[in-house]
Amino acid sequence: MNFKTWTIARRCVQLAMIALLASPLTGLSIFSGNLAAADLLGLPLADPLAFLQVLLGSRVLVWSYLVSALAVVGFYFLLGGRSFCGWVCPVGLFTELADRLRKRLGTGQTTLPLRFNRWALALVLVVAALTSVPLFEVLSPIGMVGRAIAFGSLLPLLLVSVIVLCEVVVAQRVWCRSLCPLGGLYALVGRFSPLRVGFRPERCTHCNDCLQVCPVQEVLLPSLEKGALQVTAGDCTRCMACQEVCPAKALTINAGYHS
Amino acid sequence: MDDSSADSAISRRLFLKGSALSALVLALGGAAVSAVYLRSAQARDFYLRPPGALDEKRFLAACVKCGKCAQACPYRSIVMAGGEAGVGIGTPHIIARETPCYLCSDLPCVKACPSGALDKGLQEIEKITMGTAVIVDREGCLSIRGLRCEVCYRQCPLIDKAITIEPRHNVRTGEHTIMEPVIHKDKCVGCGICEKVCVREKSVIVVQKRVEKQEDFYEF
Amino acid sequence: MELTRRDFLKASAAAAAFAAAGASGLAPRTAQAADEKGITWGKAPCRYCGVGCCVLVGVKDGKIVATKGDPAGPVNKGLNCIKGYFLGKALYGKDRLTHPLIRKGNKMVKASWDEALNLIASKYQEAITTHGPDSVGIYGSGQWTVFEGYTAVKLFKGGIGTNNVEPNARLCMASAVVAYMNTFGSDEPMGCYDDLDLGDTYILWGANMAEAHPVLFSRLIDNKLKNPKVRLIDIATRKTRTTQMADEYIPMVPQGDLAALNAIVHVILRDKLYDEAFVKQHVSFKRGTENQPYGLKDKEAPKEEPKNLSFEEFKELMKPMTPEWAEKLSGIPAATIVKLAHIYGDKNRKVNSLWTMGVNQHVRGVWVNNLIYNVHLLTGKIGKKGENPLSLTGQPSACGTAREVGTFAHRLPADMVVMNEAHRKKTAEIWGIDPKKISPKMGLHTIEMYRALDRGELKCLWIQCTNPFQSIPNLNRYRKAANGRKAFIVVSDIYPTRSTEVADVILPSATWVEKEGVFGNTERRTQHWFKMINPPGEAREDTWQLIEFAKRLGLGHLFPYSEKHFYKEMWEEYRRFTIGSGKDLAPYETYHKVRGLRWPVKADGKETRWRYVDFDDPYVKKGEGLKFYKAPGHKANVWFRPYEPAAEAPDREYPFWFCTGRLLEHWHTATMTGRVPELMRAMPGATLEMHPDDAKRMGIKNRDKVRVSSRRGSIVLPAELNGRGKPEKGNVFTTFFDETKLINELCIDAFDPLSKEPDFKKCAVKIEKA
Repeated sequence: MNFKTWTIARRCVQLAMIALLASPLTGLSIFSGNLAAADLLGLPLADPLAFLQVLLGSRVLVWSYLVSALAVVGFYFLLGGRSFCGWVCPVGLFTELADRLRKRLGTGQTTLPLRFNRWALALVLVVAALTSVPLFEVLSPIGMVGRAIAFGSLLPLLLVSVIVLCEVVVAQRVWCRSLCPLGGLYALVGRFSPLRVGFRPERCTHCNDCLQVCPVQEVLLPSLEKGALQVTAGDCTRCMACQEVCPAKALTINAGYHS
Repeated sequence: MDDSSADSAISRRLFLKGSALSALVLALGGAAVSAVYLRSAQARDFYLRPPGALDEKRFLAACVKCGKCAQACPYRSIVMAGGEAGVGIGTPHIIARETPCYLCSDLPCVKACPSGALDKGLQEIEKITMGTAVIVDREGCLSIRGLRCEVCYRQCPLIDKAITIEPRHNVRTGEHTIMEPVIHKDKCVGCGICEKVCVREKSVIVVQKRVEKQEDFYEF
Repeated sequence: MELTRRDFLKASAAAAAFAAAGASGLAPRTAQAADEKGITWGKAPCRYCGVGCCVLVGVKDGKIVATKGDPAGPVNKGLNCIKGYFLGKALYGKDRLTHPLIRKGNKMVKASWDEALNLIASKYQEAITTHGPDSVGIYGSGQWTVFEGYTAVKLFKGGIGTNNVEPNARLCMASAVVAYMNTFGSDEPMGCYDDLDLGDTYILWGANMAEAHPVLFSRLIDNKLKNPKVRLIDIATRKTRTTQMADEYIPMVPQGDLAALNAIVHVILRDKLYDEAFVKQHVSFKRGTENQPYGLKDKEAPKEEPKNLSFEEFKELMKPMTPEWAEKLSGIPAATIVKLAHIYGDKNRKVNSLWTMGVNQHVRGVWVNNLIYNVHLLTGKIGKKGENPLSLTGQPSACGTAREVGTFAHRLPADMVVMNEAHRKKTAEIWGIDPKKISPKMGLHTIEMYRALDRGELKCLWIQCTNPFQSIPNLNRYRKAANGRKAFIVVSDIYPTRSTEVADVILPSATWVEKEGVFGNTERRTQHWFKMINPPGEAREDTWQLIEFAKRLGLGHLFPYSEKHFYKEMWEEYRRFTIGSGKDLAPYETYHKVRGLRWPVKADGKETRWRYVDFDDPYVKKGEGLKFYKAPGHKANVWFRPYEPAAEAPDREYPFWFCTGRLLEHWHTATMTGRVPELMRAMPGATLEMHPDDAKRMGIKNRDKVRVSSRRGSIVLPAELNGRGKPEKGNVFTTFFDETKLINELCIDAFDPLSKEPDFKKCAVKIEKA
């Protein structure tokens, strides 16, 4: 029996995040805010990209905001950068589920390179510095989903639907893979994260099942093609789908830096 | 990624084929986004921001649209703007005619704001600068017409400071008083309670962008 | 005079015809043709307060489509307050009562008029037969039209034979009435609104005129704006919007008015500020009975045994009441009291006193009224143009109906009383009944009515046009009694209220311009209006309800008015009481044309602005000057009234004074204004006004919910620390309009022994954060 324990665990965390976003509606005060800035049981949490846009755009620095952003960066650094994308982000959940539909339809074969999201990140920061407009906060589907859940602001979900539609019909997981600047930031943060997916080349049967399930396939290529002992840390979302699907137990979790 | 890697059929599939369809979708999406969202919030309307908000340009830069101020407001006065706000999408604002700001003395909205878009330096409600109330329809104002209304005045949380009554002789009847509400810009915080309580169908007193008092040396 | 059998039959037939037509079968009538918008306009007095503004009502397609202030109205010249501005809307709330409802268990079930009236008549008949006529009663209103009040009085006092007829005006103007009677021998002011235009000094005793008499206040302030000499002095326990426009604010400890006024009299005597000649010619001195109970026990029977005094004896009695003594009891500095006395005594000033509920809703309210008259009588500042004491009336027809028609437990029309044989004889003569039918015993006054209900002695009570189960004090006791089904309760009203919810039968009433009517305002102005629209559904005016009820008791013959001229005939009959009484009313048609007339109306149809004076009152001959012709010996009484404390003052456990009142946006219990969305948006709920220092000490911030409790009840309200009203330290204030906050549960049902008017302004409470 093959229990997809990691997937189950991930779904629990993703759903818990959505539940937390909705919790103020029930009168609970354990959580307030959304993924741009939140308060969890009295602990302030901040999206580091939002922080950077605010700093560059308004030249206002609130120390508690800086500290809470650093705390979040530190947290994700330890757990692996884009683990935010794989475990927490609600847009990640929706696009992942939409991707299943895409696979069944057989559409959306196009892909954009992963590195485009670094350019998206740069664009956001430059626009913030030059025009004071926090571009990502304006366009962020993450914010739109968060506000739709917490406040019932449903109309902006149209933009989120356009993204999902695009991903199903044209370019698979294009947002998360290549366009999301926050993903770009976390990819940079996660480049040197200690917690990684490990690879045992001696066990690999080259079935390529892992490539099928990985949303950011490029990270597996150094291991599959050159035997790298760890999956590329930056863009890996730590979703562990590869490990779940591998028949040969060639993929593991490990900590540390092994090339 | 090496394009010429022959035995990696997968690699080839992973590259952008330069398909016209993808480019078209991306272009359309970009156009839609620019047309709807990338418009200055101020081009649409004056938005009544929560207490402590920085001036509009800096506010839009500093607000991360987290919604914590709206959740902290005990009266649910703060609502999140939609797409019609352009660049201000998702920013908090107050629709005074629906639910004005009730000036909680502990300013929970300011405390909740993480990024300083609501200035933490604001400690007293008298120093709030959300906007300035203005009687925009003097012909519609019952008090100015001589009736006994002045609800805006009596409900003003800074009664006799932000709004005072200027009585004058009613020339038409010859024996009654016109009790005109007068707003004092240096004291009005722009909470919008007056706009809410006005008994006309469209409120004749509305909160607008803050107007600074022009000082001179005249004292009467 | 006894009715012959033929007369009886004719009268019954007439009553039956009237009833069959439903009274409201009389078609609506408006005075002018339609204007270019197709709207027909008719005149009426405003439905709300005692100012009695004149309005024009615009009707189209059987609905009120507009109202406006009547520019031809002398009271208001086209102006209104916002309650008046929205008069039309008040009649069209969604939950308007449209058919009779009878209680079956916990539900109210729709019934026909026949069913409802038969049930009411049978219950009343059963009680009358088994327990006597005094086991039933009716509780009406200062918002009844003259016709409704007159029908009730004639039916109950002349037909059923009980004096258990009371108006809600017992709760507002009774103290003023008793004082008018025991001072001048006749009810209602001797001056009028013109005094507000012509005087130069106005002293307000506990009256928030800015909010309770809005358009009148506007008129008063204009005098101030036009004449720099005019001074307005606000003596109160709380700063209000009136204070804001006054020249001087004098804060006072509750109940301190008794002390301050006595000390003012003392100074007037001490400093020889009195008019010796005036006193000699026009004043008698009397002493009443002191140390009377506060009405806290059921069936208390206070005494008033007046003794005559000489002026010297009176001066002697006033000696101890020095300003220093009064300062301790009132909180008003002695120097200020002396100054007030000198203002009252200033021969170069035309001084008027104005008061309403602060003085009347008072356990010694009659005494305070008397003391104010003492000041004016001793200084001779009375009966002059621009110089009079003016008791302001709260309701639109407390004067016109309750007081003039006599809808009180001891009253008959035109100042007459049931205890007086000659009065009963005169009344019986006009009514065409045996004088023995009218009981000589005073009936149950309002608080005693509800107590008798609680004790199971009052079996049937009909409530019309008022909301006692929200507005009477110590509400818990009486709501419990009503809910305990101790009596058969009928409520006639236009909307569901806190009183209809305890009724056994609910009857839908017609209101205001849905019926023809007459009101009388503060300044004796009687104003008429025609029916302009039909009431909704099966609603019927209270007059019709009572006559239908009378028929079923075999008393229909009391109302032998024709269907076509019903109101005129009833008016002319009622008018007979007033002829020669000094309160003469004009023939009915006169009122159709004018914007009211102030009585006594002279033979040439002209109104009287100032009573008791030869230059205006037709009962005073030229050269007689001032003549209190209704008072025994033609002398007004100056009463010795000492200080006695409030019924319940703050103590360690309940450390705050609790005061209650009204505000501009809502009328009374907001049954009407509560159906106007604009007024509800402007003022959605009651608050508790507190002094910021008191609040800070208890850690209470603005809008925090606080629990305020007295020995009788407890309620949660949001605190208001910087509102339109700012109580003095140690005082809190709230309003009674909010039907979700029954603040009268906290109030004490102590009342003035002479007027039986409860004290809504003073009891003791404690405050806690909720």
